[in-house]
Amino acid sequence: MAVIGAFCVSVNKEICINARMPGKCATCAEVCPHNVYALDVRTGEMNVQNFNTCVGCRICAEFCPANAIRINPAEPEYITRYPWTFATVEEIHYKAQTGEYLLRGFGTHGQTPNFDMITVVPSQIASTAPLDKYREECDLEVVIGEDTCDQPIALKAPFVWPAMSFGALSKEAKMALAIGAAETGIATNTGEGGLVEEEAWLARGYIDKEMTHKRWEPGGYLIIQWSTGRWGVSADYLNSGDAVEVKIGQGAKPGMGGHLLGAKVTEDVSRVRGVPVGSDALSPCRYYDVQTLDDIKHMVAFLRDVTNYKVPILFKLGPSRPYADVSACIEAGADAISIDGMVGGTGCSPDIVTQGVGIPTIACIPPAVQALKDHGVHRKVKLIALGGMRHGLDAFKAMAMGADAAGFASAAEIAMGCRVCYACQKGNCPYGITSQKPEMRARLDPVETGHRLANFIHACTEEVKILTMLSGHRSIKELSTEDLRAMEFNTAALTGLKMAGYERPLPMWEALSQTGDGNGRNGKHDN
Amino acid sequence: MKIIDAKNKDLRAVNTELKASVNGVAVKVKNVSHLHGLAAGMKHGEVVIQGDAGDYVGVLNAGAVIRVTKNAARYVADNMTSGTVIIEGDADYGTGQYCYGGTVVVRGNSGDFTATMNKGATIIVCGDVGDEVGTYMLKGDLIVLGNAGEHFANYLIRGNVYIGGQWKSIGNNTKIEPLTDEDKAKLRAYFETFQIVAAPAGFRKIAAASEKPFYH
Repeated sequence: MAVIGAFCVSVNKEICINARMPGKCATCAEVCPHNVYALDVRTGEMNVQNFNTCVGCRICAEFCPANAIRINPAEPEYITRYPWTFATVEEIHYKAQTGEYLLRGFGTHGQTPNFDMITVVPSQIASTAPLDKYREECDLEVVIGEDTCDQPIALKAPFVWPAMSFGALSKEAKMALAIGAAETGIATNTGEGGLVEEEAWLARGYIDKEMTHKRWEPGGYLIIQWSTGRWGVSADYLNSGDAVEVKIGQGAKPGMGGHLLGAKVTEDVSRVRGVPVGSDALSPCRYYDVQTLDDIKHMVAFLRDVTNYKVPILFKLGPSRPYADVSACIEAGADAISIDGMVGGTGCSPDIVTQGVGIPTIACIPPAVQALKDHGVHRKVKLIALGGMRHGLDAFKAMAMGADAAGFASAAEIAMGCRVCYACQKGNCPYGITSQKPEMRARLDPVETGHRLANFIHACTEEVKILTMLSGHRSIKELSTEDLRAMEFNTAALTGLKMAGYERPLPMWEALSQTGDGNGRNGKHDN
Repeated sequence: MKIIDAKNKDLRAVNTELKASVNGVAVKVKNVSHLHGLAAGMKHGEVVIQGDAGDYVGVLNAGAVIRVTKNAARYVADNMTSGTVIIEGDADYGTGQYCYGGTVVVRGNSGDFTATMNKGATIIVCGDVGDEVGTYMLKGDLIVLGNAGEHFANYLIRGNVYIGGQWKSIGNNTKIEPLTDEDKAKLRAYFETFQIVAAPAGFRKIAAASEKPFYH
């Protein structure tokens, strides 16, 4: 479960500054989020005191001025000792000593079904000829709400930054995401922690509150999240963005609400959320003001009313029962639905929930798409795939499976500099991404980091363009499951994709298409 | 006073007319019980809702004074930030949830989960309240003149809860505190403002035991 005990920490004493001059350097102890290193204040000597807690993020190695640290995975133990690995033993000891379960940040680790066992089918002579990525155009635009509201969103590339709250992230990280969205014409999302004032104009590409000086073209969009904790929510908040997203759940902890531990509830966060400084802000797992699906419909109605029928209404789902949940969102009046697979990230969650709850992203998409098709709204109500998206290749596969766009959240944090230490909840992020401490936040320049994020989106956009065109399409709207093949049985079974070599879906999927599954779902794969 | 008849009209038509009409004039709306989200997000004005109101009346209220002459359904004044909502009769489940400010007065009884996640509003119920009332309240005042059900003020974090009657059970993370002179003056002022016949002396005050009861 936990990653503790999975890495070997070694320090080359011949070049370590502290080993040669005790007291002169303590960088590794300062930056390590897990207290692997300890400084003996009496002698000034640094020691690897707690090597079992190393999670392999290698922040210490990156910061070490002498390049003296090496972190190597201790993978064989997972073969020789499984299931009683050192990590499991340590976890049990921890619980026995403290009576507490493990909390951590980021998403699911270890092997879960993913996009890697799906391959893209290129065009050759029998199918439509491939198109030339270098000299021909490709339509990558995604419009949300074009038939339902006065001001639809037109994403210039099929991506969004999914919801990550102020509190979970620093103000500077939120500003960087807004700038990255503005530079690329995509959408950023407030998350459930209220509005960072600057997001409202930075996301649209402006450097001033009055929005008179535009710096970043083409300008992006700001999605306002409405969630179960309702932190910082008012009529003005709802009207400060380009869309409203109703959060039902998220991939990392479906069935639970947002967790922001007291260590990150500073004066600023307290002011926006209305939670006492240092108190844990734990969002409810459900809406207290919703008891039925009709209530959700009424909620959508008054959200449209309060926003003067101008902006799209989006839903965000955790990975539960995609067909039924997506159907409910459609009935409630959604203009777009994000579905977040189990690998989706978080600022804080019980470890067992992140590791053991929810449906993998690749298994969420087919039933979600089928629900849209059965309601006659596929490609009208937009589907946004979230949960462990790493690059344009993952996004392309999600879109070929029927999604209209994809979201990068964990990848966005990594693009900002994150090394995946799983300790977001502690508030000590040395890159200033998930910390609220001024000294950490000062390390993150919103403009420079925003540009890194824009670079990442530009690269992923080009990747999607390459794959779309080599598959013979001029638009991402033409993508279909025919552009993909599963490369092993599990993936074919989870997705219903044709099996490479066999060139058909597995028989159980073909049987499903004949009989349906008794849940309003006929299992058809419309290519 | 301008009168809007909402019979056979949808939410958009009524709220649009309502918002256009409140500039300096009080507006009376009748036949509204089929509408859920009436007077949503209003920033000013005075609205009288004649008869019963549907769910989410005064949701996201941001400054208007809204009075319902009879009963209101669920989620009265949901997520209000300022203004006043007065229910002359009873209110159903979930009155005054998620409010950051403003005042809600229910002259009759109010249902379960009233004042849940109150973050700064004043919520006064002249009659009894149901179960789980005041759950995870973070700021503001909750005043119940009658009795409360199970888990009253459960996981209170901050703010003040006053009760004139009895509770079936009190929630986690709570403690009983003596009423101070300041509390009594505050209650007296509320009662006077909203013409409520009650004496502060008979009330008990509930406060949070800890601001951090979940993770240590």
